[in-house]
Amino acid sequence: MNLLLEVIILNGFLLDTLGVIGLGLLAMAAARLVRDKKSWGGSMMACGAVALLAARVYVLLAPHFVDRDFADAVGPYAFELLRIMPITLLTFGLAGIVWGLWGHEKWMKERY
Amino acid sequence: MIPNIPLASIDAARPVFMIVMGVFLMVVVWRMAKEMEGWTARLMVGGAFLLCIGYAILMPMYEAGKIERYVPGAPLHDAQTAVAWHAVKLVVMNAGWLVFGLGLGLHSGLVRMPASLKFPKTQTVSPNESVA
Repeated sequence: MNLLLEVIILNGFLLDTLGVIGLGLLAMAAARLVRDKKSWGGSMMACGAVALLAARVYVLLAPHFVDRDFADAVGPYAFELLRIMPITLLTFGLAGIVWGLWGHEKWMKERY
Repeated sequence: MIPNIPLASIDAARPVFMIVMGVFLMVVVWRMAKEMEGWTARLMVGGAFLLCIGYAILMPMYEAGKIERYVPGAPLHDAQTAVAWHAVKLVVMNAGWLVFGLGLGLHSGLVRMPASLKFPKTQTVSPNESVA
């Protein structure tokens, strides 16, 4: 395998870290928009970014602690919920970010 | 692999949702970028473009089964293609969020531009200088 490809695939953790850092930046920037400029879209964006971040961290960490014992310990219903949770959070997080960005853009237009 | 449960029936709507969100993100950022300048606009448009490719093209293709999903250790129909698309997906989605986050950070004043990237406006001829 090509060396670059090998680094990207086998050390996928590096790239995932970049994504997590980016989402963290996004959340902090959105929070700052709320604080400094009182833009309502910012709070929506911050919620979305935090949801995406939580889902992503869970997806990254899940293979390391979710096994048969864990499934037995939390019970079938909680396990189902845990399994659906990342997809739901990813969906609503994306919606939150896009909606918040739209709100912020509208707010910028109205202000200037 | 995953048993089909009624609660997860959003599965069918998810690709459409992602296409709409990806395109809408790009459009909104493009409209925002008209009122920004310099690296803020560049980073935000660049990040949104990567995310748009990822969400509107790559992810629905994965969901539709047009691109083989890469799972470490699982047998692959066409290993090279699957691995290459996996690399593209990793880079596009993660770099997209990073670049977009940096752009929004610049826009909100969370991050400031490093001085080395701020070029002064070049003025070749000063107003009082004779160029004869």
